[in-house]
Amino acid sequence: MSAPVTEVVRAGAAPGEGGAPPTRAPAAGKGRVWIAAGGLLKLVGRNVALLIFLTLVILASLFVENFAALDNAEVILKQSAIPAIAVIGMTLVLMTGGIDLSLGYVVGLASIVSGIMANTWLWPAPAVLAAILVLGLAVGLCNGLITQFMRVPAFIATLGAGYVLYGLAQIVSQGSIINRLPKGFLAIGRTPMFGLPSAVFLALAVAVVFHVLISRTIFGRQLKAFGFGARAAVLSGVPGARINVSVYALCSTLAALCGLLFTVRVNAAQPNMGGGVFTFEVVTAAIVGGTSLFGGVGSVGNSILGVLSIKIIENCINLLGVSYHLYLAVQGAIILLAIILGNLTNRRA
Amino acid sequence: MNIVSAARRGLAILIPVAAFLALGSRVPHFLDLSNLLNVVRQSSITGICAVGMTFVIVIKGIDLSLAGLLAFCPMISGVLMLAGVDPPASMAAGMLAGIAMGLFNGLMVSRLTVPAFITTLVVGQISQGLALTINGGSSIGAFPDSFVFIGNGAIGGIPLSDLLLLAFLALGFFIERLTPLGNHIYALGGNETVLRQEGLSAARLQFFVFGFSGFCAAVSGLLLSAQLDTVQPTQGDAYQLDAIAACIIGGVDLAGGRGSVPMAVIGALIIGCLRNVLDLLGIHPFMQNVFIGSIIIVIVYLSGVIRRHGELATRGTL
Repeated sequence: MSAPVTEVVRAGAAPGEGGAPPTRAPAAGKGRVWIAAGGLLKLVGRNVALLIFLTLVILASLFVENFAALDNAEVILKQSAIPAIAVIGMTLVLMTGGIDLSLGYVVGLASIVSGIMANTWLWPAPAVLAAILVLGLAVGLCNGLITQFMRVPAFIATLGAGYVLYGLAQIVSQGSIINRLPKGFLAIGRTPMFGLPSAVFLALAVAVVFHVLISRTIFGRQLKAFGFGARAAVLSGVPGARINVSVYALCSTLAALCGLLFTVRVNAAQPNMGGGVFTFEVVTAAIVGGTSLFGGVGSVGNSILGVLSIKIIENCINLLGVSYHLYLAVQGAIILLAIILGNLTNRRA
Repeated sequence: MNIVSAARRGLAILIPVAAFLALGSRVPHFLDLSNLLNVVRQSSITGICAVGMTFVIVIKGIDLSLAGLLAFCPMISGVLMLAGVDPPASMAAGMLAGIAMGLFNGLMVSRLTVPAFITTLVVGQISQGLALTINGGSSIGAFPDSFVFIGNGAIGGIPLSDLLLLAFLALGFFIERLTPLGNHIYALGGNETVLRQEGLSAARLQFFVFGFSGFCAAVSGLLLSAQLDTVQPTQGDAYQLDAIAACIIGGVDLAGGRGSVPMAVIGALIIGCLRNVLDLLGIHPFMQNVFIGSIIIVIVYLSGVIRRHGELATRGTL
């Protein structure tokens, strides 16, 4: 990479002796090619998520039997709906430069608690939904307050919180799984709409709301500014503490919603749901979606493309009859690839 | 400053000793010699991991690949051993796998500037996936006696596991105090600019530190499998948090540059005692995780407070 850059500067700097900035000066000959290549690289860099998604779709359609079928697409959509909700929260957190390793354990806790509320306490569905969202909010506020005001690094705070939540979920469940949940409760994610379960549309609604939040509101701008440089942003009047706390709160709230929807989908409330594996899947999706680990860069649409991409890979692994366990390792390889690609195309010094 | 650091040192030693004695007087059978030897034996897994983890945290990193490596490395050795390869060679293969994974972490951190917690998380996930894939997700066991002896045998009444922990403690202490390498690692964690001005390569140190941590993980994974005479593909899950907690309780500072191997091993013993006492009191392991998770957060918070206090004091604002 370093050779082409110097080439550009040299080609541009020759006519620019009169003081014009070298980059603005007309580039000639070899330099122009490099600039074009740089532009292409930038274009690729901005659309890595889309590119990965399309490549995967094409490769899978060509080489995997039964992939290019309408009902398979439906399966992928159904499976992507819940992680898509979670990845939005993770994207917000990653955009501040933090990470939420407790996400999967919030899912487990929300699952078992929603089961108890719906089945043992016989709460009506809306009440369960509201209570679960409040539960997620409370957990997220704890995460946010610990990272912001106790100044514990995010990965440690959320790792510790994850173990606490996992323990709590196991204790609450007393080691059992709750099956046969009431119909009203299952309706939250299972009502068929246009041939798809309502969970898919719920995910879509959440995505639209958060897309608007990130790209069209002051909060979104402040979030990006804070992610790029927390100190500079705070000095220019961005309420850093409020943003930092609210991203964790939103992330856990969405994770709790995922826990409820998972419970609805499999019709069983269990404390082992989610867990580290789900956290990892969501982080992978966000990074494949081009979200920067260093903060500041991220978009809802791209992260959801990331989810679809890794779900396509999971789907192919299923269709090819390869062991599911390999999916875990493959995910790791993908995340590394995405990080390396992101590093090459989106380098921030 | 002196008061702060003295308080730090004093507290780090006094609190565990006081807690230890208090527990001993309260919990029946805790201070029995057989129980204490058992605690040390159980702590050896965490302790050996903590030796490697200490250096990683000192250079401001963290190693979240332990959970995967603790299963992946012994799985390789185990499969080889069952295939008829003699134990030393199989174990060497497992250790090499651990070192390779660790060096890969070092590569990602040093050359691609990926944050340590991400690359190690990813490598851990890959190792975990491979550990599950190698044997289709099921455990393997019934290893040769010589291998099982490492985990369960004793020399002169002292369990071999304890001796191995002692050996790693000595090795870590030797690297930390008696080699230039140790100085450089602390320099990298404390003030990277100085290191660069001295013309030393940060990358090479990062390779060493992550590789060493991978090696420690492999050894403790093998030891765990030798103790249990099985390799279970998710056996590492429980130990990662404990290893991090051991370092943090032993005063290794997540902000880098501060901490020592012996204290981290003491941290591992504290965790071991804590788990043992909670076991003796009949408290479920899940509840123990709740305790340990909270303890980590609180200690990181407190050490941050102490550090900032110290910084203010050195600047003379206090």
